[in-house]
Amino acid sequence: MSERPPVPVITPGALARRRLHVMFALDCSGSMRGDRIASLNYAMRSALPELLSVAEDNPEVQVMVQVMRFDTVARWHIDEPTPIEEMEWIDLDAGGETAMGSALAQIGEALDSAEAGPRQLPPVIVLASDGYPTDDIDAGLEQFFSSAAATAATRIAIAIGSNTDLDTLERFMNSPEARLKPLRANNAPDLVKSIKWATTAPVKATSSPTNAPDVASQLALNAEQLEAPSSEVVW
Amino acid sequence: MSTNAELSPGTQFVSSKATRTGVVRSVLGAGGQGTVYAVDLEGATFALKWYHEHYIDIDTGLRDRLANAVERGAPDGRFLWPLELVTIPGNPSFGYIMPVRAGHYVGMRDLIAPPPKRVELSLADRAKLCARIADSFLQLHARGFCYQDINFGNIFLDPATADILICDNDNVNVDGAPASIYGTRKFMAPEVVRREVLPSTQTDLFSMAVMFFYVIFGWHPLDGQQEANIKILDTDAENRLYGTQPVFIFDTVNNANAPVAGLHDALVYRWQSLNDELRDLFLQSFMQGLFNPGKRVLEYEWRSAFLKMSSAVYQCGQCGYENVAQSGGAAKCGYCGQDPAVPPLLKVDKNILTLDVSRPITSSMLSLMIEQPDPVVATVEAHPQHAHVLGLRNQSAETWRSEIPGYSATPIAPGKTLRLLHGSRIETAGGLLEVINPGDTPA
Ligand SMILES: Nc1ncnc2c1ncn2[C@@H]1O[C@H](COP(=O)(O)OP(=O)(O)OP(=O)(O)O)[C@@H](O)[C@H]1O
Ligand SMILES: [Zn+2]
Repeated sequence: MSERPPVPVITPGALARRRLHVMFALDCSGSMRGDRIASLNYAMRSALPELLSVAEDNPEVQVMVQVMRFDTVARWHIDEPTPIEEMEWIDLDAGGETAMGSALAQIGEALDSAEAGPRQLPPVIVLASDGYPTDDIDAGLEQFFSSAAATAATRIAIAIGSNTDLDTLERFMNSPEARLKPLRANNAPDLVKSIKWATTAPVKATSSPTNAPDVASQLALNAEQLEAPSSEVVW
Repeated sequence: MSTNAELSPGTQFVSSKATRTGVVRSVLGAGGQGTVYAVDLEGATFALKWYHEHYIDIDTGLRDRLANAVERGAPDGRFLWPLELVTIPGNPSFGYIMPVRAGHYVGMRDLIAPPPKRVELSLADRAKLCARIADSFLQLHARGFCYQDINFGNIFLDPATADILICDNDNVNVDGAPASIYGTRKFMAPEVVRREVLPSTQTDLFSMAVMFFYVIFGWHPLDGQQEANIKILDTDAENRLYGTQPVFIFDTVNNANAPVAGLHDALVYRWQSLNDELRDLFLQSFMQGLFNPGKRVLEYEWRSAFLKMSSAVYQCGQCGYENVAQSGGAAKCGYCGQDPAVPPLLKVDKNILTLDVSRPITSSMLSLMIEQPDPVVATVEAHPQHAHVLGLRNQSAETWRSEIPGYSATPIAPGKTLRLLHGSRIETAGGLLEVINPGDTPA
């Protein structure tokens, strides 16, 4: 028999996967110094592999990660949307003020440029902060929400410690009927749990069985199952 | 006790049926509903799914569903079916034991995963896989059960043999009973997406057809131009695409969701390479069947179509792309569009088999039934000196009778080989075979 030509490999799924942008806005202000920033770094390190594993459960979706840090100024820590399989965590350090407004404004811009790119699912935006914004948060939120993708996004806020601006975090989440509330992280284990949940639950919702009509309701259901904070050390 | 506490190794449990005592060994995996453990029960290893307390509070029908499943027994050996309910003295939760899934099985979604995770299967194996899925759901539905949540997450396959295992049988319910779940995104029938009905055997048929389309095409049947035009796929857009305005990408009447050049080319090649029978089943499923559940393709129709397809696959002689042979009409490769040099064929009743020296002919290929075991009845062999002369060796225990046009009938005893000539007819225990186009004509 004659030699056969190789089978042409044609892989539609891989060529045209929808993107799921997961963006973080992380507070690196002075009050985060010490064990809070250490826990945040630890939480991110341990959340990324879990995010990878839930991303693999939905092979039709390409998860892209971007990280914004804010202290006295807000700037990208990881500025190119990076495929989750290629993510390596680089530790954040803390010091300075809380430029949350500028961070959200820049995320709004990044969402706009992502919208010009390939097809995507509603993005996931995780905002973690332990204090009150020191810049113009109203302008920041306005610019953020002027992006259509920001409005469509799943937005989750994590309040670190007890001295946080919950009002601002709720405005960021802008959850209908306040079904989703900011997650409270009052100690290191809670922060790890919250970061993991905020990152993986919305991604998981795209590929797991459901009873809920939409992602937000499903998250609200799941959030109820996050355990109550354990007592130990409280920030 | 906290709600998600794991059972520690050594924990003893009691099985409901025979009140036997078993021991927890190690964690196999964890999910939203519970954790699955490897356990010992009287010398044998099983998997124990132990529910989170918060889950049994929500899913109030769970215990009755499981008890019913245990009582009725597994539809066939491919289901990792609940064998017995399990309790632990002093623990308010419960669980069930089932067979353990062997390590060489991989999740169905690996078929569409990006490399390097992707599992590559030949088109013939994909067809076999689908035939087995259809067969198992036929057995399940025939027993009055519905699965409710057919999706990638709960079917596993052995890449070497295309055998399947069906997991997560705890949602399986008596058809018509209140459902515990709507289903999984992109697999739900349109009427379930619209929340008009709860899952039933008829919505299972839709989810199964979606699964088949994914296995053959690596893509969703309702994702065409309409989907490609949506920049951000939010809940409203999803409800339109899969619920209120679904259109098949290959719809022959409505081209609103047709393939987009450059984006969906691979799907078009695959569509062109299939036989009419399979294309018709997909058209029926995703045209009439979208809005009319009574028109959905039934399990046995899929099973027979996929079994036929699995033995009619051949590679294009020009480019190597896999095509499905059918009788009548000049063949064109679905990929390169050239004459694919269709290999010699055996016609069995209305069914076509492609002849290939590397592929033995088994009993099921003639009967078009799933056979376990599936003995080899014939092999195709090239003449030792003349590679283009093909013969068919009788590997069965019965003597065949062969009739060559213009010659008298000859018996072909077991172990003997018959030279393949165009128009020859062979009477076998499995049916009457007709040889088509074996290449060299007799000298
Ligand atoms: N019989 C089995 N043998 C081996 N592993 C199993 C078996 N059953 C389940 N598992 C593994 O245990 C894990 C959890 O199982 P399962 O999917 O049943 O949980 P679940 O709570 O239904 O999950 P999900 O949240 O995805 O619905 C999975 O990783 C699964 O692969
Ligand atoms: Zn070709």
